[in-house]
Amino acid sequence: MPEKHKTLPMKRILSLLIILIAIVTFAACSKDESGKSTTPGTPGQGGSLARFTIAWNYLYIVDDQKLYAYSLANPQAPQLKSTVNLGFDIETIYSFKDKLFIGSQNAMYIYSLTNPASPAQLGTASHVRACDPVVANDSIAYVTVRMGSTCGGNQNALLIYDVKNVLNPVQRNATPLTNPHGLGLKDNRLYVCDGDNGLFVYDVTDPVYPQYIKQLKGETFYDVIIADDLLVCMIDGGTALFQLGAGDEITLMAKITN
Amino acid sequence: MPKPYLPLLFSGLLFSFLLSCKPYDEPVMRPPASIEGYAPIYGSNNNAKTIKSAAPRNIEKGGKIYVKNDTLYQVETGKGIHVISIASPDVPQKLRFIEVMGCHEMAIIDNYLYTNNMNDLVVVDIRNINDVVEIDRIQNTFHIVDQNRPPGTGWFECVDPSKGDVIGWEMKTLSYPQCSH
Repeated sequence: MPEKHKTLPMKRILSLLIILIAIVTFAACSKDESGKSTTPGTPGQGGSLARFTIAWNYLYIVDDQKLYAYSLANPQAPQLKSTVNLGFDIETIYSFKDKLFIGSQNAMYIYSLTNPASPAQLGTASHVRACDPVVANDSIAYVTVRMGSTCGGNQNALLIYDVKNVLNPVQRNATPLTNPHGLGLKDNRLYVCDGDNGLFVYDVTDPVYPQYIKQLKGETFYDVIIADDLLVCMIDGGTALFQLGAGDEITLMAKITN
Repeated sequence: MPKPYLPLLFSGLLFSFLLSCKPYDEPVMRPPASIEGYAPIYGSNNNAKTIKSAAPRNIEKGGKIYVKNDTLYQVETGKGIHVISIASPDVPQKLRFIEVMGCHEMAIIDNYLYTNNMNDLVVVDIRNINDVVEIDRIQNTFHIVDQNRPPGTGWFECVDPSKGDVIGWEMKTLSYPQCSH
């Protein structure tokens, strides 16, 4: 009822207002302060097959053997701060919060970004020889392994690692697939590109036991980026755009293949 | 034969053995009639280190993808980056093509594009997508493009130097490939 407002004493409104102003001012101040040293810009989103990723105002790059950390304190002139020897046949890099997840043809490596200038090795999980991108969150890492003439290996699967103890990732589950490539994770949904077998959608509310929801067919899927409610898929010959709707409805919006 | 030539001959033999495409750590296999493997992508050396914005072109070998705001970037493996507006996802619009020889990878922060020009890291100001400007380059800083062999192991199509410079590798169905590693 509008009459209710009249009963609020002027004093109380005033003190509330003062508190509000104080909070806003404080928030603005702290924002300014944190931005003083370097003003990190906003990076875009890459796919799971990427060798470049931006995190903590650093550009991290993996080639076949090494991890490079370039400071973007001045984004116009990156400075190489450190180089880490990883091993052989490194393929992908993925960042989540203060960690890097690196996929090679026989292992997944986890590196700490506590000191972003100099990534430090945490844990390693060895697996069968295969091509293998990674996505992860605080507790789980999803890795696809694909056999093939250029990757070796004898397994096509989604491997699920418990990474709560980052020093010792433990494989908890595996789901067979046909020809898996890149994958994407958002909230409780996992999207896995299974080559010409389509795109699989899983509910990962229970992260160790993905529940199959559906399979999108008709394209050869290689990688996926979830950009808000848009699924941007690298497909054979180009890109396909899908709209994500309620109830896991996925609608093809356009294909860009010429 | 005079003695000094012997070590030379021996090291020459060893060198050619090491250079040979045949695997030396596994039994020599006959090349398969048909197999998935890497083939070189060739390019001319004319625009080796020139980065510029060009008219949109067809996607031939669509490579890695990247999204920033309402723009999709797709690498044209070895050649550059397609810049595509996805502001209306049902009618994506190709805006430009950024020519970058040997390009495989990219990332963007604000208006700065980081990509590999062969094995150089380059920073490109993309504020004006019609006129992008290279603003920094770290030469030969990593090993992303190998001109002699593809990533991974297995059979691959041998490099034919008469066709130009190798600017990348693509997966193909190969018929009787003669090289492997």
